[in-house]
Amino acid sequence: MFLEQLIGNLLQGLVLGAIYGMATMGLSLIFGVLKVVNVGHGAFIMVGAFIALWMFNALGIIPILAIPVALVVGLGLGFIFYYSAIRKLLSGPELASLLATFSMGVLLEEVIKLIFGSEFRGYNWPVGKIDLGVTVLPMTKLYACVGSILVAVLLYIWFRKTRAGSAMRSVVEDSAGARVCGVNVGGVYALSFALGIGLTVVSGVLLTMFIPVGINPYMGGGYTLKAFVIAVLGGLASPYGAFFGGVVFGLLENGSYTLFALIPNVEPFALTRFFSFVMLLVILLIRPTGLLRTK
Amino acid sequence: MRFRPGKYLPLLPVWAAYLAMFLVGKYMPGMWELVAMLAFYCALGQAFNVFLGMTGYVDFGYVAFLGVGTYGMALGITRFAHVDGIGFGIIVIGLVLAVVMATLLSLAVGAVALRLRGAYFAIATIGVNEGFRYLIEGARIWNGSEGMIFMGELNDVFGRQVASVLSTFWADVFVLVIAALAALVTLIYMRSKIGYALTALREDEDAAKVMGINVTKFKIIAFITSASLAGLLGAAAWALKTPYVFPPEVFEIHYTVEAIIIVLLGGAGTLIGPIVGGLIYGISKYYLAIILPGFQLLIFAPIIIVIIVMFPEGVVGMVKDKIRGTALDKYIL
Repeated sequence: MFLEQLIGNLLQGLVLGAIYGMATMGLSLIFGVLKVVNVGHGAFIMVGAFIALWMFNALGIIPILAIPVALVVGLGLGFIFYYSAIRKLLSGPELASLLATFSMGVLLEEVIKLIFGSEFRGYNWPVGKIDLGVTVLPMTKLYACVGSILVAVLLYIWFRKTRAGSAMRSVVEDSAGARVCGVNVGGVYALSFALGIGLTVVSGVLLTMFIPVGINPYMGGGYTLKAFVIAVLGGLASPYGAFFGGVVFGLLENGSYTLFALIPNVEPFALTRFFSFVMLLVILLIRPTGLLRTK
Repeated sequence: MRFRPGKYLPLLPVWAAYLAMFLVGKYMPGMWELVAMLAFYCALGQAFNVFLGMTGYVDFGYVAFLGVGTYGMALGITRFAHVDGIGFGIIVIGLVLAVVMATLLSLAVGAVALRLRGAYFAIATIGVNEGFRYLIEGARIWNGSEGMIFMGELNDVFGRQVASVLSTFWADVFVLVIAALAALVTLIYMRSKIGYALTALREDEDAAKVMGINVTKFKIIAFITSASLAGLLGAAAWALKTPYVFPPEVFEIHYTVEAIIIVLLGGAGTLIGPIVGGLIYGISKYYLAIILPGFQLLIFAPIIIVIIVMFPEGVVGMVKDKIRGTALDKYIL
């Protein structure tokens, strides 16, 4: 009975983990290229969640079609924030860019609160479910998982096969060297920031397909923390590391939840959140370069 | 070390400002509420400045130390209220507990996080308040998510009259004292080896290390000092003023945001900056809450971005440029 429950939860964790991974790729991309930590990461996920929610509830458009809209909105937000603030802070102390991204997150939260209010919302997109015996998986979750993997693969191809992708990789390796070779480093910075934000907003849509409830302006805080744990698991600067970090994290989170639920007289959900924080500190302490890196 | 009073002149305008706030609150009718709020923001900025201003490291988990301090006072009051003959001693016990608990938490966090630099440090600290909140709620420590209410204990020990004066007057006075204390500590640090070491590490940590400065030691000193001041502040401004504690309220990240705004607005690493920032922030928040209730952050978030981009030195930084070389120079730091 317990084993069945554990396997069921781990399967859910695997599906959620792929989405988590995708939700962290933007963070890692921005850190890898610009060396800026987007502390307002969760707020951009929240924006994606609201795009999915609004399009479904107000216009009746299914969340899958909200993905391109989210990408466009995210790219737009990314370019606006990059040219209005981030660009001027790249040469300054780290403190400046940390505070700027943090304030952007707060700004987005407050704007969304102004438009939609702060109550918890959700939507219901009934497209059937599959019974796997140990657990029941709604089709929406499966779509979200497949969508996440697809986005990750597309990003991989884009990095390998396009000129802009190679330029980005060259800046990650050595930005001064790339400049000497004629790469427009400023343009790469702008594109990477916008793309990172775009991916993050898209991941917000995918996350609501897994968890279509609890959408509110302040939902991002928890995801920021999770994204940091995942990014650090994957080495912080590598989007693919982040993807695999997400899968590992999804498994660990659901596995630990099942185990904490066995302890009497505790709140397993809260302990799981505490556990992810401890995991963050432990990884930072013993393996700050991430679990996948050998160097 | 010889005591030279000239070194401590910049303390005069700071302490004068706190005294003025006290007098305005005490003798101008209806002002006490506003003064209490301003005192809290000034103290918050002054305490946070010891770490953020002097080291240049951003601690996104700062509010956790205030939260732990609140719990320290709550534990002091609830556990010792039924012991006979302590009386006002329970407040002292509460304050000691608040400082000790904040110090212990800062040691635990600092031992891990202060090994990390810049961005990694910020990442490590952003989860501190959430992590601690969920530990308390999840493991049901100190009543877990139900929190603690200790109005009854205060009334039993001091009587209704005294308990009421304690929470509406003395708690705020105490906050002012903490602010003045934090300013004194800041100046002592600035005028000693600690301050020079921290300045060196803020400007270039690698160079400071090469020069033989034990950067970790000085970072930990600043971190613990700042955290224990936060513990005191939590005990006074939250536990004594509103005699209850709930985890979601005391581990609310918005207080960290406010602390950052105040320090940056006034000028990070300056002595008088937190007061300037605290007053500007507090007064504008007070009136914005009347004009546009609930949307203060909507206005403050873009303001922080503008400050960071256009005036990274804060208000005091700009003023200092203007008065350099004049007679006022030695009073402003």
